[in-house]
Amino acid sequence: MAHLTEGTLRRMVDDPDARSGADAAHLEGCAECGARLKDISDDARSIASLLAVPDATVDVGRAFERVVSDRKSQPALVRFPISGSSGRPFRLAFVAAIAAVALVVVAFTFNGFFFKPTTVKTVPVTVADMQALSQLGEYGTMTWTKQPQFQVATNAADASVIAGGLKAPVVATLPAGVSTTVTYGAMSEAEATFTFSADKAKAAAASHGKTLPALPKGMDGATLTITVGPAIGEIYGNLQQGSAGSSSLNLPQLIVARSTAPTAKSTQVTVAQLEAYILDQPGISPELKKAIKAMGDPSTTLLIPIPVEYATSKDVTVQNVPGVALGDNTGVGSGVVWVKGGSVYVVAGSIKQNVAIDIANNLK
Amino acid sequence: MNLGARRMTSVRSDDEAFESLFRTEYPRVVGIANRVLADPHEAEDVAQEVFIDFHRLHSATAQYAPAWLHRAAAHASLNRLRGARRRQKREVAQALEEGERMLDPQKQVEVDEDRRQVRAALGRLAPKPAAALAMRASGLSYAEVAQALGVGIGQVGTLLRRAETALRKEVSRGTSN
Repeated sequence: MAHLTEGTLRRMVDDPDARSGADAAHLEGCAECGARLKDISDDARSIASLLAVPDATVDVGRAFERVVSDRKSQPALVRFPISGSSGRPFRLAFVAAIAAVALVVVAFTFNGFFFKPTTVKTVPVTVADMQALSQLGEYGTMTWTKQPQFQVATNAADASVIAGGLKAPVVATLPAGVSTTVTYGAMSEAEATFTFSADKAKAAAASHGKTLPALPKGMDGATLTITVGPAIGEIYGNLQQGSAGSSSLNLPQLIVARSTAPTAKSTQVTVAQLEAYILDQPGISPELKKAIKAMGDPSTTLLIPIPVEYATSKDVTVQNVPGVALGDNTGVGSGVVWVKGGSVYVVAGSIKQNVAIDIANNLK
Repeated sequence: MNLGARRMTSVRSDDEAFESLFRTEYPRVVGIANRVLADPHEAEDVAQEVFIDFHRLHSATAQYAPAWLHRAAAHASLNRLRGARRRQKREVAQALEEGERMLDPQKQVEVDEDRRQVRAALGRLAPKPAAALAMRASGLSYAEVAQALGVGIGQVGTLLRRAETALRKEVSRGTSN
């Protein structure tokens, strides 16, 4: 057997786990390695004494208070779900952009759409409609069977590892004025399960002064499991910049994100039965119900909610497939969403719509 | 529970997770920074920055949280060590402290000078071995160092040995100049 490496010998100095197996047996019978171990051990001890310092005495409670007061003045860049609570404007950082795709899917699943989309379509909604989604909690329970984990990475390779090997889309040419500073983000695959509860639905119907529609066989306890992600994205520009006093969405210069198309599966009843029954529940927004019914084939379409007060949309062709171009009425930014090859893509930012479409068409 | 209430619960549990993480890891993060900087006050400043950065970018429930904090503590304190501003500030502080010492001032000055030279040498090492050395010297296990640096546990010994050899050389160079 060859002599032990310096690294192995160094580890043997102060890691009891290293002193076992073939290496330990070799050391036992090798005078040369024994002598080297002694030198390395002496070196390690002498360096340890050079680095020795008196222990720092810390007041953890006080330190925690300091951090809490400091962090309150610095809003988190990554929060899921995206929330505009306590009057603070919510920031659309790149991870949030990735999450947006997942949120859209999950949000609309709550309203009865179950799919593996191959194309996109917009649904006009009001902010009130979106808020009405919370009523779905009255018809069952929602649990994350796999929590979405977001992580920031400094390079595309690290982000790709987090995103289960999904490759970050590459922007062919950055438009003038967009910073070349890029940060990567990734989300692991996440899975959420909605379990329909007849008791909850009954109580919800009663609270609206109505009775529960006749319960189809197997509906009580029926589950719907949605898988979203993994997703990967990149943001160009300074993450710190933002209009802290503004109540508008704060778009970075450019976000490019890609997510594996979401999928849905159900137990006890078909997804279509579950969808139809939830749509029949009292309290579901009539506007949203109308919009949902207007959809041609929900099993293959990713719905993009367009808050009519704030945004406009139009159908476009991106990379030879149908996509949706989104514009902000205030002129703050725009974006494009499309589905291709099993992935959902988003290009968005504080850029003009034609620029967003151009970037999308040239994405590699 | 509706979605709004669930969200509130999630925010609350995230806050609780952050506090729990802070209470467990803060002393260790300070320990790493103190080992690099040999200055407990500055080490606490580094630890505060590290936790605030962590909170801005990550969930406290993330499995990688301790490893991220350890790595960030090592790199942030090594970066400080290399900063010119820090050196100047430290020299002024040292001069003041030296003037105030009552017991065996000559010996204390020698100890401080040794520490200063060792830290200057540490700041000149390659980042990864230097971080491995700081983390291990502050009491992290081989497995924790490996996790923080994203290397196999078998590589930690190699990194430590490389760092110790380089540090010895750098210290010798510093004292012979």
